[in-house]
Amino acid sequence: MKDNVIIETKDLCKYYLGGKLKALDGVNATIDKGEVVVVIGPSGSGKSTFLRSLNMLEIPTKGAIYYNGNQVNSKKTNINLHRQKMGMVFQHFNLFPHMTILRNMTIGPMKLLKKSKAEAEAKAMELLERVGLADRANAYPSQLSGGQKQRVAIVRALCMEPEVMLFDEPTSALDPEMVGEVLDVMKTLAKEGMTMVCVTHEMGFAKEVADRIIFMADGQIVEEGTPEKMFEAPENPRTKQFLQCIL
Amino acid sequence: MQEWMTSMKARFFLNLVKDNRWKYLADGLVVTLKVTFFAVLLGILIGMVVASIRATRDKTKETMRPGIGKAILAFLDWLCRAYLTVIRGTPVVVQLMISYYLIFASSNNKVLIAILSFGINSGAYVAEIMRSGIMSIDEGQTEAGRSLGLNYVQTMVFIVLPQAFKNILPALANEFIVLLKETSVSGYVALQDLTKGGDIIRGRTYDAFFPLLAVAAIYLVLVMFFSWLVSLLERRLRKSER
Repeated sequence: MKDNVIIETKDLCKYYLGGKLKALDGVNATIDKGEVVVVIGPSGSGKSTFLRSLNMLEIPTKGAIYYNGNQVNSKKTNINLHRQKMGMVFQHFNLFPHMTILRNMTIGPMKLLKKSKAEAEAKAMELLERVGLADRANAYPSQLSGGQKQRVAIVRALCMEPEVMLFDEPTSALDPEMVGEVLDVMKTLAKEGMTMVCVTHEMGFAKEVADRIIFMADGQIVEEGTPEKMFEAPENPRTKQFLQCIL
Repeated sequence: MQEWMTSMKARFFLNLVKDNRWKYLADGLVVTLKVTFFAVLLGILIGMVVASIRATRDKTKETMRPGIGKAILAFLDWLCRAYLTVIRGTPVVVQLMISYYLIFASSNNKVLIAILSFGINSGAYVAEIMRSGIMSIDEGQTEAGRSLGLNYVQTMVFIVLPQAFKNILPALANEFIVLLKETSVSGYVALQDLTKGGDIIRGRTYDAFFPLLAVAAIYLVLVMFFSWLVSLLERRLRKSER
């Protein structure tokens, strides 16, 4: 295995209904350190399932996931420790509504990284500052707009100082005028060298930021390559058809 | 009119003042409050345990790795369901009498037996209220907690339960109001609670009016006071909403 590979999946499968529904059907993928990978594909193609299985929110039916060479879906792996290294951002933000923004961000570091309150809050404030939400630190999630919520969700994940960030359609639930502010945060993150795996329908973002695009259909990777190759000269007819529909 | 007032005054005196008869009500009230209070505590305790087992089983049935842990959980879940079926399927008076005349026949600590009976009874209802609260919280909350690296118990304690509690508060308050009034059947095992106290007075004076209305008024005031406390708590918890 190459040194710079951080995540690798081998023959990853996820079946539902006793095998009748194959959400993932033999996915082999690698993700390098510092790489920004965008996963695209039609609805039901398994892209979210793929992303969620990387931090074991979906437990694979068979196959293997390796993280830094260690198998993740094995009994020996401490799944909670693994998840600490993988930040995740959800379509519906999933902020904790009963906590202030600041508390949303500090609960992980305080409970898991054993940081002091002051330490965790300093880090949280620094991150909030960067996404322009420092003045909302003591607000509750219900008092924020969708775009603000998603920016908070991103920095909440960053508070755990993850090595990889997973984005599961982070802009799909946003009003159009709020998509930009979230994508800007993601772009900055990508420029800083964060390893990112994004499931998204934002093709502009994919073109501009992605190092590599993976196209999935029917639970399999149909085609992958650089944005130039994928958008200018896709080879597979499935890919061509999909891109025609959305571009 | 004058005559009627005089007669009412006399009846009031006869039923509540003479021979310190009000003391039956006062002593009965203490018993009722004692039984209710400890039965509520016991009910919450049982409810929490049963709801945790049932909700954990519901949530992890598909994802938990097969093994001894899963088998134990399945057995505990079965036990909880059996408990719910039996307790919710039989009247509380019958349960109280079974406790007093059969299970604890050798004991004559009526207050304790009443606490256990009502507590075990209430636990079944509290358990299902709590489970409904846990299941009402969006799965995304659990996923967000777990994706940060919190384990199942931490996610439950810090993320799910505080939100669930807020949602179930009205139903929970309802259950405790019902429980307070349900203890009025304690007289069946000759425990002198508030209702029984009023009944004793009625037996002495052959006058039902004042004892029964006094008892009813006391229950009403208790429930109104309790409802007021709960509304204060609800308002406090609603702080994070707009």
